[in-house]
Amino acid sequence: MAYDLEEQEQLASLKAWWNQYGNLVVLALLAAALAFAAFEGWRYWQRTQAAGAAAVYGELQKAQRSGDGKKVRDLAGMLIDKYPRTVYAPLGALASAKAAFLAGDAKTARVQLAWAAENAKDPEIQAIARIRLATVLYDEKAYDEALKVLDAGPPGEPFEGLFAAVRGDVLAAKGAKSEARAAYTRALDRLGRNDPAAREALQIKLDALGAG
Amino acid sequence: MFDFVRKHKRLMQAILALVILPFAFFGIESYQRFVGLANEVAEVDGSPIGIAEFNQALERQKEQLRAVLGGNVDSSVLDSPTMRQELLDQLVTQRVLQLYAAKRNLGVSDEALRETILAIPAFQENGVFSKERYEQLLRGQNLTPAMFEALLRQDLTQQQVAAAIAESAFVARTAARDFAALRAEQREVAEVVFPPAQFAAQVKVTPEAIEKFYAENRRDFEVPEQVRVEYVVLSPETLAVAGGVTPAEAKAWYEQHLPQYQQPETRQASHILIAAGADPKERAAARQKAEEVVRELRANPAKFAELAKKLSQDPGSAAQGGDLGAFGRGAMVKPFEDAVFSLKPNQVSDPVETEFGFHVIKVTAVRPERTVPFEDVRPEIERELAKQRAGRQFAEAAEAFTNLAYEQPDSLKPLVDKFKLRAQTSGWIARDSETTGPLANPKLRAAVFAADAIKERRNTDAVEIGPSTLAVARVVEHRPATVRPLEDVRTEVEARLRQQEALAAAQRAANERLDQLRAGGAADTKWSAPRLVSRENPAGLRPDAVRAVFQVDPAKLPAYVATDLGPGGFAIYRVTRVAGPAAADEARVRAAEAGLARQAAGTEYQAFVQGLKSRAKIEVNKENLQRKGG
Repeated sequence: MAYDLEEQEQLASLKAWWNQYGNLVVLALLAAALAFAAFEGWRYWQRTQAAGAAAVYGELQKAQRSGDGKKVRDLAGMLIDKYPRTVYAPLGALASAKAAFLAGDAKTARVQLAWAAENAKDPEIQAIARIRLATVLYDEKAYDEALKVLDAGPPGEPFEGLFAAVRGDVLAAKGAKSEARAAYTRALDRLGRNDPAAREALQIKLDALGAG
Repeated sequence: MFDFVRKHKRLMQAILALVILPFAFFGIESYQRFVGLANEVAEVDGSPIGIAEFNQALERQKEQLRAVLGGNVDSSVLDSPTMRQELLDQLVTQRVLQLYAAKRNLGVSDEALRETILAIPAFQENGVFSKERYEQLLRGQNLTPAMFEALLRQDLTQQQVAAAIAESAFVARTAARDFAALRAEQREVAEVVFPPAQFAAQVKVTPEAIEKFYAENRRDFEVPEQVRVEYVVLSPETLAVAGGVTPAEAKAWYEQHLPQYQQPETRQASHILIAAGADPKERAAARQKAEEVVRELRANPAKFAELAKKLSQDPGSAAQGGDLGAFGRGAMVKPFEDAVFSLKPNQVSDPVETEFGFHVIKVTAVRPERTVPFEDVRPEIERELAKQRAGRQFAEAAEAFTNLAYEQPDSLKPLVDKFKLRAQTSGWIARDSETTGPLANPKLRAAVFAADAIKERRNTDAVEIGPSTLAVARVVEHRPATVRPLEDVRTEVEARLRQQEALAAAQRAANERLDQLRAGGAADTKWSAPRLVSRENPAGLRPDAVRAVFQVDPAKLPAYVATDLGPGGFAIYRVTRVAGPAAADEARVRAAEAGLARQAAGTEYQAFVQGLKSRAKIEVNKENLQRKGG
């Protein structure tokens, strides 16, 4: 095959370019391939973790439905130890907190909820854990601590109603009537129109504080 | 252009690399996204909800609604813009949960899936899971067990986190106790009512006032526009179907559709399962056990049912003596199926190994493949063919009917003659009067009140008023809207004015009395006998009155509140004391706890879903959302 002048010139410049940047290109491709492999490996590891955790969580659900609180707590502990980075760990903590709370062990419930609030990846699950942590503290009359938990604020608009409702409960119990009224009013304003049961309960609590 | 390329080779190479590299990693699909949502109704974090998918969901919803509301619903009721919006909202929520499940690698184990199915009451007989019933119900939905299980798994996976949130919800005991106490709290209340009738005598209505009221409220005395129409209806039933179906036609159809009358072989079998996991030691032990069972049964075949009850580890069938009912090919795992379809009736198999363990199988009945004879299904086929023929004739007639109604718009007679229909005449109807029959259809109703139909007495277009049913109507008489003259309505106006004024007088009196009471006066008020009112038992008080009574500060009693009773006038309530109970009883607290926990579960679940949605990138193509058909 014969090349004309222009083509030879092009080939030469291409070779020169390759001599100058070839290593860099190979290196870049290699780095990209490595990153890709690492990413896939990470995904694979995550999937295996999740599958293991799902099996344990299935057992936990069964124990939960049969009312075996001790087993729920044991399995939740296992999830937190072995699969702390899966979503099943905070879910286990939530279930375990309920079991502990119902058994009168508020301290364990607090620890579990605080862990979920701290370690869950999703802001929604964190928020639910915080709401429940504040609820346990309120039940133990630790009002200021409960308010502190709520002070971090809801993660977004969908949680504003729930946070305000618990805040109202705490403030009312503390005797801060007008602040409680403000919190309940805000909760009523923010809770979905399609949640009439929650709205009715809030309205009753608000009315009980008097017309102000 | 090419000069430019040659001069800027470096640059062009870089650009080419930039363009090509993304394809290598992400495929062509991501690029198409830049084109916009051409064929989608919406997109959730890059995952499309296609027009076809949306329409399928819409059809499903329509069918369900139709089943609930009965067949004769106008399709505009089932397919309004709001309903489409709501449906899309549901689909988006589903998709958000699906994507979340994938992102967090959620899954449901085989065991959990199995347990869920075993626990579904619809699949149970006498409280025990029945495989026969399970398959029968699924067949009714056109599903195979594998399809159903995949759907269920997807559903369970999607709902997993939501269920976890709901099931772990609880409520503070203090909150439940306080709430129960609030609902049980009783207050002693007496009332005095100011009914408007009491003030009617004082009210004077002047003729000027009557005229003024009439002038200001003319619309209340309007008689709406009315029409009388004649109409014809075309449907397979009103079309006289020419000729019956001949036996030869029926036979030909039968032969063409023979496969649907062939029923494949089914076999009824019983089994005894010795369950075993993957562990080889466990497997070996199970095999040995199964072999013992086989030996015992070969010596004494009559004991099969008894041994199954005693030994089988298949909870679904053990109680029935191992009986699995009748099934065809494709229902069971492969090795099991092979064994069942190679055994002779009442022969006991060698142990058969499957993923569940070892099975000892006996076939109890064989129903060979069979073809339903023509004579058995002949009436059914003839009916079906006659229906199809009527439908076809209707389809052919419909177009001619529609055209003729339009081409000869001055009379229904051509339609009556050509299609041998009967014209019917309605009574006087207004736009919003309640009727039955074809004119209840909103489209036809709107058509007869169109300007053309009334002024020119033109036929309406042929309107589809139901499945395979067309109607054309034509106005025969018309009464324009009128306002009834004052003389006809004078007494009515006077009565309304009197009521209005009396109510105002009642309100003045009530407010005056309330002021006096609050100032400690009005000792002559004629109170009703005091009664106890609580939030859960309002003793006849209206909800806003109950709220007012319970907003009263118990530290400042007696207290007085007034409420509006609507046409009944006004009432003042005197709250004299809080009558306890100071605390709710245990049963009430328990009920409040359960109710509040359920409510917290619902609210928290909603917040979770809304939270995920608010973080997702959701794009909607409004045009595609509202586009009909296609």
